[in-house]
Amino acid sequence: MISFNVDEIIRNLPDLWVGLQYTLILVFVSLAVGTVIGLAACLGRLLGQGLLFALCTGYTTIFRGIPETVLMFWLYYCAPLLGGVRPSSMAAALIAMSLYLGAMLSEVFRGGILAVPKGQTEAARSLGIPEVWVWINVILPQAFRIVIPPLIGVAALAVKVSGIASTIGVAELVYQANIIAGQSYRYFELFTAVALFYFMILFPMSMIAKRYERKFAMRTR
Amino acid sequence: MKDSVSKRILRWFDPGSVLLLAAIVAGLYNFVDWSQVTSLDFSIVITYWYPLTTAAAMTISVTATALVLGLLIGVGLAVLLELPIGPLRYIINIYIELWRNTPLIVQLFWVHFGLPALTGVSTTAYQSGLLALTLQSSAYLADIARAGIQAVPKGQWDAIKALSLPGRTRWLEVILPQALKVMIPPLGNLAVSFLNGSALLGVLNVGELMTVSAKISDYTSRPVEIMTVVALLYLAINLITTHLTNRLERFTQRRP
Amino acid sequence: MSNHQNGEVIVQCTNVCKSYGSFVALKNINLNVRKGDVVCIVGPSGGGKSTFLRTINGLEEINSGTIVFDGITIPGPSKNIRMIRREAGMVFQSFNLFPHMTVRKNLTLAPMRARGISPDEANQRAERLLNRVGIGNQIDKYPDQLSGGQQQRVAIARALAMEPKVMLFDEPTSALDPEMVKEVLEVVRELAVSGMTMIIVTHEIGFAREISSRMVFMMDGAIVVDSRPKTFFEGMPDPRLQTFLSKVL
Repeated sequence: MISFNVDEIIRNLPDLWVGLQYTLILVFVSLAVGTVIGLAACLGRLLGQGLLFALCTGYTTIFRGIPETVLMFWLYYCAPLLGGVRPSSMAAALIAMSLYLGAMLSEVFRGGILAVPKGQTEAARSLGIPEVWVWINVILPQAFRIVIPPLIGVAALAVKVSGIASTIGVAELVYQANIIAGQSYRYFELFTAVALFYFMILFPMSMIAKRYERKFAMRTR
Repeated sequence: MKDSVSKRILRWFDPGSVLLLAAIVAGLYNFVDWSQVTSLDFSIVITYWYPLTTAAAMTISVTATALVLGLLIGVGLAVLLELPIGPLRYIINIYIELWRNTPLIVQLFWVHFGLPALTGVSTTAYQSGLLALTLQSSAYLADIARAGIQAVPKGQWDAIKALSLPGRTRWLEVILPQALKVMIPPLGNLAVSFLNGSALLGVLNVGELMTVSAKISDYTSRPVEIMTVVALLYLAINLITTHLTNRLERFTQRRP
Repeated sequence: MSNHQNGEVIVQCTNVCKSYGSFVALKNINLNVRKGDVVCIVGPSGGGKSTFLRTINGLEEINSGTIVFDGITIPGPSKNIRMIRREAGMVFQSFNLFPHMTVRKNLTLAPMRARGISPDEANQRAERLLNRVGIGNQIDKYPDQLSGGQQQRVAIARALAMEPKVMLFDEPTSALDPEMVKEVLEVVRELAVSGMTMIIVTHEIGFAREISSRMVFMMDGAIVVDSRPKTFFEGMPDPRLQTFLSKVL
């Protein structure tokens, strides 16, 4: 039988807490930057002609088709060789995550805007409302409601992907757990604990997203 | 009302995007050390084409195996969820939520380093990787399968009861085929996301594309060439997968 | 039966054609609508009736021909379509009310944004119009709290709020449960009697017969018959019209 040593976990909580803080920094910053990029790319795809459209579509296709792991590695190991810059592991992770999440978010935003029923824009335009107000008063408010559940999904994705940053040396939660477990060989306790920490963050998010999804499905006609 | 050719070219290069392009080019010019770029030697990729392609094949096979096994388990779980046994559904739901709401990398380390402490059985890196991928995919697929089953029109269930169809026929021949049709798009997305996730197996030196490319980059000290090509390889695999999924979706739509 | 003063021509469609790829949806449509006319367009499904109606306010683009609406011409600069839309009110089969706004907001949005009217005046107009269509007391409800018939009446009021010169109706009752069709038709009838110029695509043949000043029969993308109601229902020898009428009456 195994012995689950809870002390082990308790003793290392301070280090794990440090790791968690790094995780949160990674998540929040990359989501913020990613949202800006995603919005720009989404609008570029929806409204842009020719070159802009091609650039934005290229961006979303490429950064959704490359593994996050490869992206982080590339930025951390290859970028110093190509440019003069040597990003810290945190910087590389942030850039990689922002670019990756930006591509995901651009698809989510685009999906949301396209999901607004065509009849809505037709009705608004038929009334003679100027295009700017059609967007602000009719399209965007409805797109916003549609977009909330998948947005929470991308935020959850950000939390999960943050763990990959440990492979390039960012001292977030998984990294800390690895270090601690490497010394004490108590992998089982530590990773169970870490799994539970992540679960306690991600599970509520998933529940909230589901509730929003149900609420939205009832509201529109 | 066709525009002349020159007009169409002009429309392609509208001021906003030209500005953006100029900004990107300027940024690249300033940040990139072009002497390094010219010294890139992509022939190194050709030298190592064999290990790279075998590793790519392993990536595909590991992901495919995990998805197929995950599909079988996931569909099985979804079917079980339809049974009115409270405690069973509770346990299955916990399983699904646990595996969906924890990061793959944590699951990987847990299965490889932590599980042996629990079971006494030590797994190879490949086995751990496959196991972690399979378990996670089974949870996602159970959720997708559940949605697929819900999407089958309620009238089908009435017809089944009226005809007194036995359990196996009911599932295998009526409900599941219809559910599977609905499941194809999210399955496609899942395939791409797991192909990307398989790159994580590199941290355990499983021998798939990420492992091999990291090793070669290190050995030859030419990470840029190798990694860039590997990134493009992953991109190609993903694009092909998406394309195949779309064809599959269209194929299943054809029959009424 | 209705008697209108036949005023000047306000909508003039000349040789309007539209195709989707190789499919020809509209073939050389010629139609003149005078002020005060109530034109009802009927015909089998897929005959191009809705498509034609939607070319008038620019929701569908035409490939050739011209449409002159109150002196404004399509094809033309994009502001032409915007100007036409302010003067043409459209009522859709699926209502298309804005679900995230109250009825009040639905009605006041366009006058404020498109005509720059003050909120006070827009509100007064909204209340007046809602009373006219018979649901003044629902003004602060949300669309999903109303029945289908009520929603369509709100949609009509919303279009009227822009004080348009012409009202376009695209199968206004086709999506309604039978018991609600009457309340909406009453509103349409009241509008016709009050002298509004209207073009109505509908399947309600009996109703069309009662209120129209002109009946148009469209089939396979072309206008087959265009005449006064009496001749339309009793005198036209066209075989296709006869087949259609025998099926629906």
